[in-house]
Amino acid sequence: MPDLAMESVVHVYERGAVRALDGVSLRVLAGERVALVGQNGSGKTTLVRHLNGLLRPTSGRVSLDGRDTAPLRVAELARSVGLVFQDPDRQIFAGSVAAEVEFGPRNLGMRGAELRSAVDEALTAVGLSNEARTNPYDLGASRRKLLALASILAMRTPILVLDEPTTGQDERGVATVRGVIDAAHAEGRTVVAISHDMEFVAGSFDRVVVMSAGRIVGDGPPASVFAASSWEMLRSTYLEPPMAARVGERLGLGSTPTDGSLISALVRAG
Amino acid sequence: MVSTALAITLGGIWGPALLTVGAVLLPAALAGIAGRLLRTALLLTLPIAISVLVINLFFYPAGREILFAIGPVRATSEGLAFALETLARIGAISGAITLFYLTTPAGDLVLDLERRGVSPRIAFVVLAAVQTVPALVERAVAITAAQRARGLDTEGSLWRRLRGVLPLAGPVLLGSITEVEERTMALEARGFTRPGRRTLLWHPPDSSRQAAARWLLVAAIPLALVARASGWLGWLG
Repeated sequence: MPDLAMESVVHVYERGAVRALDGVSLRVLAGERVALVGQNGSGKTTLVRHLNGLLRPTSGRVSLDGRDTAPLRVAELARSVGLVFQDPDRQIFAGSVAAEVEFGPRNLGMRGAELRSAVDEALTAVGLSNEARTNPYDLGASRRKLLALASILAMRTPILVLDEPTTGQDERGVATVRGVIDAAHAEGRTVVAISHDMEFVAGSFDRVVVMSAGRIVGDGPPASVFAASSWEMLRSTYLEPPMAARVGERLGLGSTPTDGSLISALVRAG
Repeated sequence: MVSTALAITLGGIWGPALLTVGAVLLPAALAGIAGRLLRTALLLTLPIAISVLVINLFFYPAGREILFAIGPVRATSEGLAFALETLARIGAISGAITLFYLTTPAGDLVLDLERRGVSPRIAFVVLAAVQTVPALVERAVAITAAQRARGLDTEGSLWRRLRGVLPLAGPVLLGSITEVEERTMALEARGFTRPGRRTLLWHPPDSSRQAAARWLLVAAIPLALVARASGWLGWLG
C-alpha cells in the first residue's frame, strides 16, 4: 500500500489570486484514516484534488510512494487514488446504477468475473445491491451520494479520498459510510476524508488535520485535536469540538470518551 | 440586431469590415475587452468560416477564373470573392453578438426587458438561454474532472480526448435541461406565474444619450437600405 506525501505545496487558481494552498506539507501513511477539517474555503477540496492529479501544484511536490506524481496522468493516478466528489450529480452520468459503478473499474481494465464481483461488492457495501437496474436519477439525493461512493469503491484503489461523504445523509447513511471506511481500513487501504461532521470525524478517523486559509494549523489524533487545549485553535477556524469531547473534558474523561464511560460518569454525577 | 441588419445591407467586403472595426473592435478596445472578444468570436465562427471558405472557393457555381486546382476540384477567384464577402458579414455579426454578450450582464438585460413590458416568462426564457452556455461549460468541466478521477483518459492525443469526452456530451446537456427545469419549479414555488404587474426594485442605468444613440442606430437601417438601393454605396465594392 502506497504512502502519500505533499511537500511545500502552493496552489494558486489564477495569477495574482489568493493562495488556495499556502505551503502545505503532509504525509499520509499507508492504511491511515485521515480526516481533513476546516471552514469552507480553507483549501480542503483543493488539497485532495492534488492527490489524484486533477490539480497540479503551482509550486511544491506531490508524491505517491516516493514517486513524483507530476509526470503521471490522472488516468494513471486513478489506479491508486479513488476520489469521491462532494456533489454526486457532477459524477453520475450513466443510465443505470450498475453501469455507473462499472465505469471506473472498466476504465482500469477490469473485465468479466472480476468486474462483476467488484460492482456487486461495491453496491452491497453501500446498500444498493437491489437497485442495479435503477436509473441513478430515480434515487434520492442521499442514495445518489452512496452510489458515487460505490462507483469509486468498485475501482479497488489502495487509497480512498472522500469529499464530505456524510453531508445530506441520515443516521443510516452515516452508518453506511462508517461501515465502508471501517472495511477499507480493515483491508489496509488508506482513507482521506473531508468532513464538517465532528462526531463522525472523532468516531471514524485515527488522525485529524485542521486547515485554515490554505495552511495546516493542527494535526494529530482526535484525542489531541479535540482536547480542551486545542479548542481555541479549533474555534479560530470556526470549528466546534464534538459534543462528546466537550462533555468528556468537563467530566474528566478526556476528549474522546466512549459512550459507556460517558453514561457511567453521568449516572454517577446523578 | 442593428449590426446584423447593416452587415447584410452593406455590400461587398468593405462595408461589413468597416462596421466590424467601427461598431465592434473600437468599442471593445475602449472597454478593454478586445482580446477576449477576438478569442471568443474566433472560437465561435471558426468552424463555419472554414466551411464557407472551402465550399465557396472550390464549388462556387458561377466560378470561371481558375486560381489553382487540386485534382478534379478547382478554386475560382469568383468563389474566393464571394467567400470573403460572406466571411466579412459573419465577422461583423458574430463580433457584435460577442460584444453584446461580453458587455451586458444577463440579469440587467432581463430586468430592462421586463421594465419595457416584456412578459416575465419570456424574460426568463431569455435569461435561461443566455445563462445556459456558461452553466453548460462549468458542468462539462466538472463532469469531465469526475470521470478523469475514475480513470477516463482525456489527456494526450486529440483522438483520445474526443473518445473520452464525447460520451459525456449527452449527460451534460440533459443535466443542464434538468437544472433549468428545477429552476423553473423553484420560481413557480415563489409565485413567478402570479398574474399582475411587478414592481422592479432596480432599474439598469440608461442615460438619454444612450437612448438617442440607440435610435440613431435603428435609423441607420432604413438609411443603409435606401443608400444601397440607390447605388450610393457602390464604392464599398
